[in-house]
Amino acid sequence: MIIEYIAAFFFIGGFFFLAVGVIGLLRLPDVYTRMHAMGKCDTLGAGMVLFGLMLLIFDVTNITKLILILVMIATINPIITHLIAKTAYNRGTPMAEGSFLINDYVASQRRRRRRKLQEVAIEEGDETGQ
Amino acid sequence: MITTLLNALVVGLIVISLVSIIRAYGGPSVLDRVVAINIITTNVVMIILIFAYLENSYYYIDVAFVFVLGAFIGTLCILKLLREGHII
Repeated sequence: MIIEYIAAFFFIGGFFFLAVGVIGLLRLPDVYTRMHAMGKCDTLGAGMVLFGLMLLIFDVTNITKLILILVMIATINPIITHLIAKTAYNRGTPMAEGSFLINDYVASQRRRRRRKLQEVAIEEGDETGQ
Repeated sequence: MITTLLNALVVGLIVISLVSIIRAYGGPSVLDRVVAINIITTNVVMIILIFAYLENSYYYIDVAFVFVLGAFIGTLCILKLLREGHII
């Protein structure tokens, strides 16, 4: 009987975190911040709901399958978050107003490539000029 | 008690998924839609697992596992198409 109350606590906590993730998805101003809400709240809410189900079911085979799903979600969600961030940054998705980058890697690489192209063009021009 | 709570939880998860469709419909870029679909996928997996407990038929757990894997491969293909312009 007491285990049902513990499971109910985990269910309510998991639903709270899933709802907070959806509120963050609706109200945050940017792709990157929305992705932050998705990654953290989704993993934590799914983990708490799965833990409550493990307490309720209490069978070795099914608990093993639930642990497998939990490990799968906890592995997949950071991979997806990382890939979405990388894709958004490489595509140049605009950030919210007032945010800035400290070390803009893509822009510095582009600048370096352009400088190298200019140097090659100047050298070739000199050779053809002589 | 726990059956009532789980039924209410299923209704709440369905409402949350319907609310996050707003972002999937009118998001400014493609990646907003990808994020919203990811949240809906997690909610659907939770609904499948809760029904597996409510109906006492635990084969639905395998269905949820396959659903997680399929959603992962789908999101991966969409992101690779956006980054490189082709999938294979």
